[in-house]
Formats: sequence, C-alpha cells, structure tokens
Amino acid sequence: MEETKCYMPETLAQALEIKSRVDAIVLAGGSDLMVSHKRTIGLTPVFDRPVMIIRNLPELRKIRVNEKGECCIGAACTSAEIAASTLVPWHVRQAANRMGAIGLRNSATIGGNIANASPKGDTLGPLYLLDARVKLQSLKSEREVLVSDFIVKFKTLDIKPDELITEVIVPYSERDFDYVFWHKVGTRKANAISKITVSMALKFNKDDTVKDFRLSATATGSKTNRSRDVENIIIGKKIDTALIEKVIQAFDEVISPRAMPEFRRESTRRMIRRFLSECARHPNNRVIETYDGYHMPGAIDPVF
Amino acid sequence: MIAEELTRDISTAMRRLDAVEKSEGTAKYVSDYDFSDCLWARMVRSSVPRGIIKNIKLPKMPEDYYWVSAKDIPEGGHNYLHMIATDWKCFADGDVKYVGETIGLVVGPDKTTVEDLREQIEIEYEEQEPAVSIDEGVACKGGAFVNGNNIHCHLKLETGENVEDVFKRCDKVVEETIETGYQEHIYLETNGACCIPEGDHYVIYASAQCPFYIRKSIAPVLNIDPDKIVVRQATTGGAFGGKEHFPDVLCGPLLLAAYKTGKGVKMFFDREEDIENSVKRHPSKVVFKTGLDKNGNILAMDSKVYYNVGAYLASSFVVLQRGCFHVTGCYEFPNMRTEGFGVATNSFPSCAFRGFGAPQTLFAIETHMCHLAEMYGVEPLEYKSRYFIKQGDNTSTNGKVVERVMIPEMLEQVLKASDYKRKAKEYKYGTGKGIGIAFYNHGGAFTGNGEQAIIKAKCRMHKYPDGTVEILNSQTEMGQGFHTIIPKIAAHVLGIPVEKIIYKDPDTSRVPDSGPTAASRSTMIVGRLVEKAAQQVKERWNEKEFEVETHYEHPDGFPWDQSTFQGYAYLGYGWGVCVVEVEVDPCTGEVTTKGIWSSHDGGHLIDELIVHGQVNGGVIQGIGWASTEVLQNVKGHFKQTSMSDYIVPTSMDYPKQECFFVENPYEWGPFGAKGLGELVFNGSGAAYIDALSRAIGKRIQSIPCPTEQVMLYMLNGKDIEEAL
Repeated sequence: MEETKCYMPETLAQALEIKSRVDAIVLAGGSDLMVSHKRTIGLTPVFDRPVMIIRNLPELRKIRVNEKGECCIGAACTSAEIAASTLVPWHVRQAANRMGAIGLRNSATIGGNIANASPKGDTLGPLYLLDARVKLQSLKSEREVLVSDFIVKFKTLDIKPDELITEVIVPYSERDFDYVFWHKVGTRKANAISKITVSMALKFNKDDTVKDFRLSATATGSKTNRSRDVENIIIGKKIDTALIEKVIQAFDEVISPRAMPEFRRESTRRMIRRFLSECARHPNNRVIETYDGYHMPGAIDPVF
Repeated sequence: MIAEELTRDISTAMRRLDAVEKSEGTAKYVSDYDFSDCLWARMVRSSVPRGIIKNIKLPKMPEDYYWVSAKDIPEGGHNYLHMIATDWKCFADGDVKYVGETIGLVVGPDKTTVEDLREQIEIEYEEQEPAVSIDEGVACKGGAFVNGNNIHCHLKLETGENVEDVFKRCDKVVEETIETGYQEHIYLETNGACCIPEGDHYVIYASAQCPFYIRKSIAPVLNIDPDKIVVRQATTGGAFGGKEHFPDVLCGPLLLAAYKTGKGVKMFFDREEDIENSVKRHPSKVVFKTGLDKNGNILAMDSKVYYNVGAYLASSFVVLQRGCFHVTGCYEFPNMRTEGFGVATNSFPSCAFRGFGAPQTLFAIETHMCHLAEMYGVEPLEYKSRYFIKQGDNTSTNGKVVERVMIPEMLEQVLKASDYKRKAKEYKYGTGKGIGIAFYNHGGAFTGNGEQAIIKAKCRMHKYPDGTVEILNSQTEMGQGFHTIIPKIAAHVLGIPVEKIIYKDPDTSRVPDSGPTAASRSTMIVGRLVEKAAQQVKERWNEKEFEVETHYEHPDGFPWDQSTFQGYAYLGYGWGVCVVEVEVDPCTGEVTTKGIWSSHDGGHLIDELIVHGQVNGGVIQGIGWASTEVLQNVKGHFKQTSMSDYIVPTSMDYPKQECFFVENPYEWGPFGAKGLGELVFNGSGAAYIDALSRAIGKRIQSIPCPTEQVMLYMLNGKDIEEAL
C-alpha cells in the first residue's frame, strides 16, 4: 500500500497556497477522519488523497466578537474550547459540551463537525438555529455562506477544491431571546452520539405576541432540519394550544427520520409542546431545558 | 501486609496485589510480548451466514507469506475445537454456517503486507437461506442444519404433579413470553494470542480465563498429546466469560500456523473485529404457562426455555441446563414442568457470559411474577414473598436447599435504605416515577457432583527454605481480584505476610489443573483447596522445603444424577435482592436511575473492597443488558460493531450504589466464603425493568429497552394491570 503524503502548513497563507495546487483532505482534530480511515491495530490509516493537517494554524484557533457583535469561531477551535468560552452563544456551547467524550472534545473541531455533514452532527442544530455562516477562503477569494446552505445534503458540501473553512460566524445568541431550549437525547448520559437533538429559542413582543421563534432538530432526516415556514406560523401571534399543535403538525411534516421514526417524531412533538407551553406561562427561568449533568466550568450558564 | 492486618477479619479490605503494575502500565498483556522472528496473522472469515464455499481466490503469496486453512491439518489431525462438545470447526471446510466463521489465516512477517494480502482474497459462495432468530431456527427456515430439527440440545425437568392435570383444576391459566437479547462482553482488552514452537512442543501465550481448556481444545488439531502444548496466561484485561472457551478459536488456527511455518505466530483483534466476531450472551425466549386459583395463587407452572445457541453447540448445553435450573428463581412452586431447547441458528455461536444462562430465566421469572401480581392488584413484593424458598425446600431439580436462605434479612436492609414501601405506594403507575425490586440467586460452582466427577480440581503449595510459599493452581486473574484474595487466604492461615507468598499467572507446565476460572467456583472450590493446603503447610512449617497437594472432595449425602438432572444441583447458592428507582422524562422517554440498593449473600466475604467492585460492576452490567445494550443480528450480521453504537453504560449513567451484605458462612468454603461474581449480575436488570414499567404504567416483556423503546411503550404499550 502506498504511503499517504502529508502537508503540515504553519500559517493560513501556506495552507491556502497548498490547497491551490493540491486537492488535499483537510484534517483538523481527526476524530472523524482517523476513525473512518483506520485499518487494524498498529497499522497506519490509508487515505486515497494527500492530507493537510491544519490543527495548529494560529489563524484558525481564535474565538472573537467582530465589529457587528457576531461571535466568530476559528474553524480549528475544539469543542472543549468552544464549550468553555462565554463569547460563544449558549446553544452552541451546550452542543459542544456534550459532544462525545472529554478526550474527543479536546480534539474535535467545529470546522470538522460541519465538514463531516452528518445529520447527527452535534453543533449543527444550534448553528442552523442561529443563522450561522461559514467563511470559506482560497488563495484568490473569500466568501461566506449559511451553514444550512453549505451542507447541501448528506455528506455533501458546497465547497471548491481550493477552499478552506476558516471561521464560523454566529450572528445571534441567547441575548436575542427571552427563552431558550436545548435537549440532546443521547445514547447514554456521557460519551454519547445523538439519537435526536432539539434546539429552540423564542422572543416575545411587548404585547405578548411572538417576535421570533426558532426550532431546529438533528438526527431527524438526511440533514439537520429547520423551517422558516413552520416558525412563521407562530410569529406575530399569541401562543395558544391550537397554535402549538399547528406548529407541531407542520414541523412533523418537515422532518423525515428513517430509523426509529415513531420515537423521533413523538419526542420532537413533545419537546416543542413543552417549550411553547412553558414560554406561554412566562416563567422567570429563561432556560426551559438544558443538560443537568457534568459540564465544563462556565459551559452551561446563559449570558442574558 | 503488616502483622497487625493478619489479626483483622479477612473481610477487611487490602490493596490489590496487581494495583500498582496495572495502574503504572507495567503489567504485560499478550500484545506486549516481543518475540523475535514471530509472524503476524490475520483471520479471513465468512461474510455470509450460510452457504457453500465455491472458490477461494488467493493473491500470489510473496516469499515467507502463507495461507493457512483446513487443508493444512496433518493426517490424523481433527478439524474441530473441543469445547465440551466437539462440533465447532477449527476452520470452515466446504460450507459456512455463520458470519465470522474462520476460513483461514494469512500469515507473514510484515503486518501491513499481511493486511494487504487479506484484503485481496476473494471468496465465492453459493448462498443459502439462513435462520437467524430463535423463531427462524425453530421453524427450520432454509431447512434444518442440525439434528433434523435445529435443536442442538434439550432437557426436561418436572416437580410435583403433572402440570396438565393441575391446569384442569385451575381458575385461570395464563401465558406470557419474556425475551432477552444478545450481550457483548466488552472486556477492556480485546482477544489476542501467540503460539511459539519450542523444541518438541508449542507454547501459547493468551489473554484467557482457562489455560487448561485451551490445551485440551486445540491438541486434536495436530493430534498431539495436550502435554505437548504449554499455555501461559498473559495478564488478562477482563473476560466476563468471553475468554472461557473463545480463546480456543484463536489458538487452534495459530497452532496450525505455527506447525506449518515452524515459526511463532501472533494475532490480535481490534475492537470492531472483536465485537463482530466473538461469542455473545445467549438471546432467550421463555414461554410461561401458569395455572392460578381464583385469588391469584400459583398452582402450577410450565415453562419452555429457548436459547439461541448459534451455529455450533460447544458449551451451550451446560448454559441451557443452568438456565432451566434457575427458572424458579428464589421461589418454591408446587408443581413445575420446565423444558429447555438450545436452538441452532446461523449466527455467531453464543457462549459463556457472567451468569452462564441463569440471568435469562431469572429475568423471565421475576418479570412474570410482577405481571401476575399486577394483574391481581397485588403489590409485586407482597406477591413474590408468598413463594420465597427456604432451607430444606425443594429445588427445580427435586433436590433441597442445603443452606440457610437469608432473603428476609437482606430484604429488610434494602427496604429500609431505599424506603421502598413508601415509594411503591406513593408512585402511582404511569406517573413517571417508579421503584422496582428483584430477587435472585446463583448456584455456585459446577452443577451437582461435576466438581468431583468432571473437574477433579487439584491445588499445590510449595514451601521454600527461605520461608516463602508458592501457590500452584490454574486459576486466573482477569480483573476480578482472584490473585489478591488467594494469597490473602493463604497468608491468614499461615500467619505470614502476603509478600511472602508467590502466586504467578498460570503456566500449564508448572501448575496442576484446578479447573476453569468460571462458574463462580474459584473462591468457594479452589479457595478452599488453598485454605486446606495452607493448613497442611502450617502443620509442617518446621520442615525446610516441601510441597503439599489438595484435591476436591464432594460432601457426602447430596446425590446428583447428571443423566436425569435430578438431585442437589448446587450446594451453595449466592443470594441477592436489588431495588432500583427510576424517573422517566415524559417528553423523550429517557430514563434516569435515581437509586440502586442491593444486598448480597456471598457467605463470609474474603475482601470487602473486591466484593464492592464486583457488586458495582455486576449490577450496572445487568442494567446495561436490560436498557441500552442493544445488539441486533440482521441477516446474520451484528449491526452494532463499535463502542459508539453498542452502548455500555458509563459511570455518569448511574448514581452511587448502596450495597449491603449478610453474614452467612458457607460450610465448605474458605473462611465461609462462597461464589459471588456472577450472582451480582443476575437481578438488577429485572429490578430496573420493574421500576421502569411501573413509572410508565406499561408492561415490558422484552429487553433491552432503550429510550426509543420506552417511548413506543408509552405510546402503544399494554397497561401494566391488564390481564395476561
């Protein structure tokens, strides 16, 4: 078997230069790629293309807030770093905090989680919910695209061979909402893959009508689900039982879970019902649902 | 150990003798051995569940690379592995009966080249229709392939009157089927072994529970005397029964490869390879037919016990027997008929797993008892307690319970700690909160007089002139703590520090055969032989150097007939009570375990800390089996093949357990100890399902029951109090 050629650029400029001439597989944390390409014990993984390791590019490892007040997360930031940063919107921190096990969270990156384009990707639900964009850079160009458009379908991206994901920009945060909800039904309480994850957020107008409502669900189809049409059913109106049921029904038609469909549909219905009926009561506690187990220090508290 | 510690009760915890080397990483596992000139082997296996091998297309083998298969077995050699039965083939020859059946080995000096060659091998099959589940096996789907009826083995037990006659005078006869699924062992260390030719014999290094089993099992392949094979156990990172017979499936082919190449050959499985291609716990189906009077009292019970044995029988008849003997649980019923069927299917053969057949029937009887109680509006604990077995009562094999049964005392401990009675009354069915209880036992050691008739365990002890003492027997350490408690027993008898005692991992050329490390027998049987040997050494302590040997002797007056399965099946049972409390998320069906309380009777405990380890691990492994550990066999292939989709619990999934013990010294055990390692697995699953079923108000008749299944029960399940 041929050996894999491996590039290790030290700056973003070098990485983009390599990308302009070599169609290399980009490896950051390796938590997906090293598993999918592994051979048996003691053997080196085999890739059919050269590999470029971007794990340590300093430009890709920063979390900052830009001039518009949007949170910008470097593509090679790890889940552990994201979970621990209060600059990062609450929903994204929640997802990063419960991704896999501690060891994995220390290596897996947000760029990799997006590029893997799995319908179970932990950060995708929150990123869809908050209209997050990815920044794509090449030697010649730079563009931004919504994560929900960037992931075209299962394991398929809108990316050119010379482009690199460099940043994830999240324009909204919990401060833009009155109530937030995030619930991952994992395979177990730690070190878990998502069976289903539902993220929600809601803001009222002064007159008690809904100003903004958002809802996304992962592991409920070939890609993460979110529907503006469903959200618009309730926006501008006061929440009542009939309206809640209408939202539930409409979202049920959006999702298309193949495995465990009854479970995934029913738990989604019940979580939406719970969130919206709680919001309608205007409770003081603005976090309607969160993970109450172990978390990284600072990872769990919202910043309103 | 300092002298003062010897004056304390033997139960007082001491630091495990292997603690330092295992936490430092200096313990030597089988893949840590470095033998120069040793070849690598990779297994080539069947990818279809049933079929005829039409052609094997091999790549051109470079020099020093070999293909090893059934054709290499020398004249006079046998293509089978002796694992109680002799039907499991060392290599498939002509046909394949399950996915993962060994077809050959690719062997050579460079492991990447070996793997490259393996990937180039093409096997052409004429596929046949497989039978995978118990029902398909019984229905002989695709045509029977064992005994004309796909029943590998069968037994029948009866007590009291003929149940059919009793059913006629019953107010009601109800039927219920309880099912359990596969379970994978997930030992920390995957399977691995080496075979090195040395002079006129072969030396096997293996991660294994039973070194003498390996010798006996694989010697027929070369038709050599078992003495020509020396087995040295390497440090073993967990087993749970998965390394009782299964190492033979690696060692047989490795022996042939070493014979063919004249060189040492080694093979290690990676995790996915191990999950996909190793033995599992038997899936089961127990069909109860229970006759009741108008008050719901049990007058007779008929149970049909079906275990999915897989393609080869191997040790499964013994598993099925233990299952049938335990079908009455901790109860005495007036009239019983039990029939067991070991069903042949085109799936990976099932084998030993902590509990060895008992957990399946114990889960079934506990769950059935709950459902009978609920149907009559009786609190399950109250209903079960009507039938508790006592010393002198009849067992399922028409023997008697020899020892004192301390269920009432154990019950009191867990009821008090868990506040069971208040919670059982307060948590109404279907309100999201539930508490459940289960009773269980485990017969220690081999069935009946098997220890004397079959195993004939021997143990030696050697006193050296410098005052050190060596214990020689074939019992293995696999993480359970045995190589700590045995020196501890000897130290306490001899009155010398444990540091003066030598007890090495067994080497079959140095130690006598004291039997397998299995069946909850090691402490009660071999521990006793060590205790007796130490007593003899103590009496002759002034002699400079000598060796003593002790032999197992079965106590008189407890007859057993292995041909009819009648008599005293076990002289000493471990007993257990477990209470589990859960809460269910009404939105998602997620279950949170709020509390686990258990009490166990393991006789007089040898080391409290080690016993705590057994309880904590066993109880959670049992709940894992009942909840998240889904392992499906789809068309002969295991669907879950990694640690990320085969879901074993983590420490985050369960709260701290409270565990209790009762003091009930066992007459024939060392310092009064008896078996406990399997017992602790046997009941937590049933207690968990009882709690869960009450919390959602629905009847659960099948495990595992993961989150999505809980949701389905909440949506479509039968109400818990509905008539069966």
